[in-house]
Amino acid sequence: MTPPPTSKDPRDSKTNRDIMYVMEGISPGYLLLLGLCILSVTAAGATWFYQVYYGLGLGGYTHPVFWGVYIVTFVFWVGIAHAGTLISAILYLFRAKWRNAINRSAEAMTVFAVLTAAQFLGIHVGRMWKSYFILPYPNQRGLWVNFRSPLEWDTFAISTYATISIVFFFIGLIPDLAILRDRSKGLKKLLYTALALGWQGTANQWKSHSRAVLHLSGLATPLVLSVHSVVSWDFAMSIVPGWHATIFAPYFVAGAIFSGFAMVLTVMIPMRRIYGLEEYINDYHFENMTRFLLLTSWIVGYAYGIEYFIAWYSGVEAEQTAFWLRAFGPYWFSTWTMIICNVVLPQLFWVKRFRHNLTLVFVVCTFINIGMWFERYVIIITSLSTEYDPAVWGIYTPTWAELVIFAGSFGFFGMLFLLFIKLFPIIAITEVKELEIHDKAHGGAH
Amino acid sequence: MPSLVGIYETPGPVADCAKKLRNRGFDDLEIYSPAAFPELDDALDEKPSGVRIYTLIGGLLGVITGYAVTIWMSYDWPVVIGGKPFASIPTYTIIGFELTILFGGLATLIGLLVVGKLPYGSFGKEDDAYDARFSAEDIGLVVTCSDRDVNEVDAMLRAHGSKEVNVVEG
Repeated sequence: MTPPPTSKDPRDSKTNRDIMYVMEGISPGYLLLLGLCILSVTAAGATWFYQVYYGLGLGGYTHPVFWGVYIVTFVFWVGIAHAGTLISAILYLFRAKWRNAINRSAEAMTVFAVLTAAQFLGIHVGRMWKSYFILPYPNQRGLWVNFRSPLEWDTFAISTYATISIVFFFIGLIPDLAILRDRSKGLKKLLYTALALGWQGTANQWKSHSRAVLHLSGLATPLVLSVHSVVSWDFAMSIVPGWHATIFAPYFVAGAIFSGFAMVLTVMIPMRRIYGLEEYINDYHFENMTRFLLLTSWIVGYAYGIEYFIAWYSGVEAEQTAFWLRAFGPYWFSTWTMIICNVVLPQLFWVKRFRHNLTLVFVVCTFINIGMWFERYVIIITSLSTEYDPAVWGIYTPTWAELVIFAGSFGFFGMLFLLFIKLFPIIAITEVKELEIHDKAHGGAH
Repeated sequence: MPSLVGIYETPGPVADCAKKLRNRGFDDLEIYSPAAFPELDDALDEKPSGVRIYTLIGGLLGVITGYAVTIWMSYDWPVVIGGKPFASIPTYTIIGFELTILFGGLATLIGLLVVGKLPYGSFGKEDDAYDARFSAEDIGLVVTCSDRDVNEVDAMLRAHGSKEVNVVEG
């Protein structure tokens, strides 16, 4: 019989080392990127302070367009948030094992994107510190909020989504935090020990964990579909031409998944190369993700087409005019950018060679991100600026303040993500190991 | 009493060995594994996890709260709109739905903490038999038994492919 172990030195696995390597050291490039992000967040913060002092006119809010870049950017970031839940929850329920290598970073993106999006509601209403007015709380006047309003639904949907995303993210992280706890020293060990909650991977802990992840997936799947549906009803419940359409909910959900996947790829491709994660995120993952992009691009393209068809087929003059002006009016550039980026360019992914050319995938995904922002711009701005009465039509142009705050949102998202990759594993280590050990037990096949 | 820790590379033999040990009357067993394996789910306890009860109760509480809050508030400040009922049930379904998910999700987290006994142990101190290799790639099967059973347990652990067996004095 061998003597009892005298030390707790880890006889570590390659997977632990490879993935935790990302967390080690800080390169000048990383610092530069983080610095740029912090700079843009600071600029956006200062601009927001000035806007509070000056008024919402600084954000270009004037008749007839009172929903501008802030709302466009809010919808954009909520959309980005959808890929994480889709990968974590829906693909989990479908037992798509390829999600294991990408779910952690996608979940992190979900949390950060929702946090970014939520700020824009506050920025948009102006006096952010009064945002709690939207919550049903007892007050001196005995007045309650209007639960018939889509904006109230949105409050509940977005706050639920943020909460559940954070819970999902944290639960998934617990076993990996224990790995970090076992291998760190000093302050870091203290942090990971506190966050790991004493996790040791006992049979009971894993059984409860698997059950919790399954149930959360079951809950998050309808949630992810509902959140962007509710966001779409912010528009579709009104009678503004170009908004009042029943296709909006599925159209928005597909668009959200489309843009979310594009953002995951935009972030993951450089990260994989910089940190040498080719063994864990490989052609198989890119093949599946680009196919997903192709599918959702077609759904989005179908929605664009059917919107035009219904506008024509309905015989409603205001609808017909709204859609004519989208394509050939003052905002034609936004509309055609949207169509080219979201429908035309993704067709390259029919060719397998292109699906595996990561430089091309990165470029196309960047264009999809641009296209999806313009999609929201087209929907919101064109419809509001040319409503029913031509006498009150007007042209909207984003102001410098809106653009600085918009850029700051990328800085905020990037800053959180950069901090995340140095504090937590960007690939779910335990889930990758589950596949590896399963493969070992079954001779390399699963 | 001493604890014997069998170290394994794959989950299948651990599940088999745990079952045989339980049949032989060894009930004080524990498994440490680096990942979730379906084989090990029922190795020590066949009962389904209690987390599901928490999710169910949370979800039901959520849907009831969603409808109750919206309907009650509508009647507390009645707004007459064209003679329609004060409470608009179809639109309140959205609030009911969102709160079902919210309460269900939070209850699931509570369920994980309660059923999984988290936070576990004293801060910064693991079980005596726990080793950092169990958060690497090895799976540990821990059997606590009396001194006279040590040889039998050791033989059983090795017979199921344990690559090493260590003794931890408890």
